[in-house]
Amino acid sequence: MLINAVIIILREVLEASLILGVLLALSQHNQISKSWSLKALLLGGLAAVMYAANLAMISALHEGVGQEIVNAVLYVFIFTLILAIVYCLRDKQYLKLAAAAMFGCVVLAVLREGSEIIVYIHGFSTIPDLFTPVLVGSSIGAGIGLSIGVFVYYLIVSLPFIYGVISGFFVLVFIAGGMVSQAIQMLLQADLISSELPIWDTSQLVSEQSIVGQILFAMMGYEATPILLQVVLYTASILLTGFFAIGSIKRTQQGNLL
Amino acid sequence: MKKNSFSYTYLLGFLLVVLTGSAFATPVFNIEIRNHLFYPAELTIPVDTKVKLLINNTDTSAEEFESYELNREKVIPGKSTGVVFIGPLKKGVYPFFGEFFPKTAQGSIHVD
Amino acid sequence: MKSIRIYLLLALLATITLVSFLSVLQGYRSSTQKVDELFDQRLKNLANIIVHANHDTKPRQERMINTKPSVFFQIWSDNNVLLARSGNAPSTLAVDLQDTEQFHDINFNQYRWRTFVLKDNSLNRWVITAERIDLRYSLADTIVSAAIKPTVLAIPIAAIIIWFAIGFGLRPLKQLARQLNNKRADDLTPVVLKDTPEELSQLVTTTNDLLSRLNDAFIREQQFAADAAHELRTPISALKVQMHNLKQQANVQDAELTPLVDGIERMGHVVEQILSLYRNSPDQASKTFQAVNLYTLAQKILAEQYTQFEGKNQCVSLIGDKSCGVEGDEFALKTLLLNLINNAAKYSPDKSEIQVTVEQNKRHVCLMVEDSGPGVPKEDYERVLERFYRVDGDQHGSGEIGCGLGLAIVKHIVTVHDAKIILSQSELLGGLCVRVEFKGA
Repeated sequence: MLINAVIIILREVLEASLILGVLLALSQHNQISKSWSLKALLLGGLAAVMYAANLAMISALHEGVGQEIVNAVLYVFIFTLILAIVYCLRDKQYLKLAAAAMFGCVVLAVLREGSEIIVYIHGFSTIPDLFTPVLVGSSIGAGIGLSIGVFVYYLIVSLPFIYGVISGFFVLVFIAGGMVSQAIQMLLQADLISSELPIWDTSQLVSEQSIVGQILFAMMGYEATPILLQVVLYTASILLTGFFAIGSIKRTQQGNLL
Repeated sequence: MKKNSFSYTYLLGFLLVVLTGSAFATPVFNIEIRNHLFYPAELTIPVDTKVKLLINNTDTSAEEFESYELNREKVIPGKSTGVVFIGPLKKGVYPFFGEFFPKTAQGSIHVD
Repeated sequence: MKSIRIYLLLALLATITLVSFLSVLQGYRSSTQKVDELFDQRLKNLANIIVHANHDTKPRQERMINTKPSVFFQIWSDNNVLLARSGNAPSTLAVDLQDTEQFHDINFNQYRWRTFVLKDNSLNRWVITAERIDLRYSLADTIVSAAIKPTVLAIPIAAIIIWFAIGFGLRPLKQLARQLNNKRADDLTPVVLKDTPEELSQLVTTTNDLLSRLNDAFIREQQFAADAAHELRTPISALKVQMHNLKQQANVQDAELTPLVDGIERMGHVVEQILSLYRNSPDQASKTFQAVNLYTLAQKILAEQYTQFEGKNQCVSLIGDKSCGVEGDEFALKTLLLNLINNAAKYSPDKSEIQVTVEQNKRHVCLMVEDSGPGVPKEDYERVLERFYRVDGDQHGSGEIGCGLGLAIVKHIVTVHDAKIILSQSELLGGLCVRVEFKGA
């Protein structure tokens, strides 16, 4: 139970704390006030509680696939906001927009990951024998996830401006790709996209179940058995975000932001 | 733009469903979760067919139906029923488990 | 990296958390593996005991054997006939009898069971023993998490300790910052730290070195200016006398001499102002402070300067608290008032109004000089207090003689008295309002 709690909570916390850490570091580099982060965490947490409380109702929507639709929408929104952040950091005049997008991005990430954590832990509150191990495991998972976020933040912040921005964007590009891939996954599961046979299977190489697989999943949406549409859209979203990122880095290097 | 890209995928998916003509022919299979166990623990479904799994969680605690082999992951709140579509699948055994209670909630889909 | 303290706290805490939690996980994995082996061994032992304790080869269903609800057993003959079972065991084959010494996980009677199959070769039968998995893991988890819990709870405690430890470690730095921060602009005495730590000693030495050099330079400047002004006094007086004599001579036109007279007048003014600026050096000032009644002082000055106001038809009033007093140097405060009142009179047009207010509120004793003149643009408030700065430079609209030292001297006196000077637009009269706030008497 304990190790299971560690892995479940770690996966959720790592994704949110990675996004938060990178965005805070990019704020620091671009001299954006970081006041958005606290508000985003509070609002995201509140929304997560509400989402978790109404999960049964949401799940039943649209012939039982409401959860998948909401999740897919959340993933697409997060992807769009990451795209907006990467674009807006190219010019001083867009920095306010970038901060707003960061706020939205963290709210949605916390909503998404937080609700899963609440549903998970809440389920054990009626099982006293398992509650302590689950709480201990959850604390360990959350501690590891948050610590990695802290290290990512200070690592990017300690880099010189241009390298900090490049590495921050690098992480964001893959998170963006992961969001699109997960959105497709949700639509597949809800049968809103017709299922096909996977075009490859790398589960022998890196199992999604393994720790490495879990970390790769959190960082870049690793999928051992993707379908063609997923691979195409994943690649496209990475190319698009990467294109925006390179544009922003070039503009920044020309001294627009310095 | 956000809304559009979503509804576009939605529409695309819907069209595909309609075009394949399987929307109404999808066979339904029931799985029940009771006391953190799957009933039946072993389910046989036809080969190369998309099926709809109705997973009824009779426990008060939530459960997450998860399968790496099937690529599915769905939280089913306590006292509710979740829908998961799987397939079409090749012949084989596809294990699944409840991620919240993996020691006891174990099962597998047999495709024949 | 805004705060060293937060950085150190987060970095240390993240390191401790990662290292301790990962090692705890490693420990958890190996101990659960051990527990697993232990439980499996127990199931095996149970099967072996049954093989040796029970020798049934014929079915004996009428005799149920009771076991704890968390374990069950079955004994099967080679041709799949149930020979014996515990009361809570299924009456059908729990697992397929294929290989001996095998573990299987099955669902039965609402629980998941770990089963062990043993072939009893001597009697040609099979023994199946089973144990509930959920109980097994919850037992293992309870034991291990009890061992892990302290590590998890220790993290917030570590956070609190680290927070205070860093605060303690950074104390010399804070002390240094506070000392530098509290220093008055003209206080150039060295910084003194108790037990200067190694990391700060260079900084303290360099700062003190810089302060002492600055102090030397400051004294040199002061002395130079004072000496120069003093030396200039005599030749200026001589010039004035010469000018007076020159005026007496009939063949010189008065109009031709006026610029010359003005020039000498201005030079004399500058010299006097410079001298009064350096007379009030802050170091010795506070030692000679005494109680001064601001209202009476203002009254005296207004009376002395009356002719000046009359000449421009200006209306002057003094209002406020008659008993208002401050601790200070009387001569310096007189200079301050004189400068402020003169400024108001000089830079306000004919028939303008000037009001001097002396009042006391809870925290301050306030002196205000307001006029109905043209005032000073907001952006110049800072600069008019600097030495030798005049609004619009030499093209000053009033045509008055001035050197831009008046307000600088006022500011200097204000600093010496640890007071505050605030410039604003007068709400009452529309011109400049100069407000000096002395700390409460």
